[in-house]
Amino acid sequence: MRIAALAALAAAATVSCQSSDVSRAVGARCDTNAECDIKCLQPSGDWPGGFCTLLCDDSSGCPTDARCIDEEGGVCAFTCTDDPSCAFLGTGYSCKAVDSKGAGAKVMVCRGG
Amino acid sequence: MSRRLIATALVLATSTAFADEPAAPTAAATPTPTAVVAATPAPDAPPDLGDQGIGAELGAATGGHITPGGLRIAGHYLYQLSSQDWFDGIAAFTFGGGTPACFRDRMDVYLCDHGLAQGDEIEIAATVRHFFGQNRDQFWPFLRGGLGIGIVRYASDGVTGLAIPFHAGAGIRASITPSLALTIEGDVQLGFGAFNHTLGLEPQLGLALTAGVEFKL
Repeated sequence: MRIAALAALAAAATVSCQSSDVSRAVGARCDTNAECDIKCLQPSGDWPGGFCTLLCDDSSGCPTDARCIDEEGGVCAFTCTDDPSCAFLGTGYSCKAVDSKGAGAKVMVCRGG
Repeated sequence: MSRRLIATALVLATSTAFADEPAAPTAAATPTPTAVVAATPAPDAPPDLGDQGIGAELGAATGGHITPGGLRIAGHYLYQLSSQDWFDGIAAFTFGGGTPACFRDRMDVYLCDHGLAQGDEIEIAATVRHFFGQNRDQFWPFLRGGLGIGIVRYASDGVTGLAIPFHAGAGIRASITPSLALTIEGDVQLGFGAFNHTLGLEPQLGLALTAGVEFKL
């Protein structure tokens, strides 16, 4: 009985552990840089709710699911294939073709505007 | 005659070494050395522990998410409850430090994802230690369980909480001298904590491995 109770408690603890597609590095909401590992793209039409990101020279400096785009001197943004694949970022985000940095081509990333 | 004298000396020496224990039978009441040995009950717990003791432990704790981990320092106060059980009061400190690991997700929910050895905690716990086995010579295995209350702090994120963990542990106590012993034990903590920054109730799940020394009072 005690073992069952402990197992149930452990299961509850595991289930309640939160996870997220975003992180302090890339994707978290923010108002200031202090809320991010490196940089906060402050809330605006381009970045609704604010967007934590990393500075980059090319996509090797970004997480695997992000690309380096030619904005703000080079920042990481999530790649996408269509608008629904940006839905996890909330309202205002859609899949857009923007200039990549370091590769000299267009890349599809999630952003507002 | 000489065997009788040796038996008497043996009994007197034992009575002196463990003065807190009930007096052993005298040689006058037990005519032969064989009878003295047979009448001595096998101990249920380390005979050197006494009815009170103190101890200190040092080790490592692992947590993660929002359970602190890092260097663990603990002080123990032991008080005998029965032949095999001791109250084990603990004051423990965990020093993990760390970098910011909390953020707001896209739903504006505040989340923390700290590493295994981050965060700080001050905790007091009331536990019971139960020794196993009888008539052991030097090494005494034990189980320990109880409840604690602690203050958890992640300074780099400004996150503070009140944690109430259940503790379950096991270890071995090695008697070194009549008043000193070494211990090594593992402890699992499982519970919950209430935190600020809209985190609310969060699970607490951690593991600690410590080693230390105990003294008889």
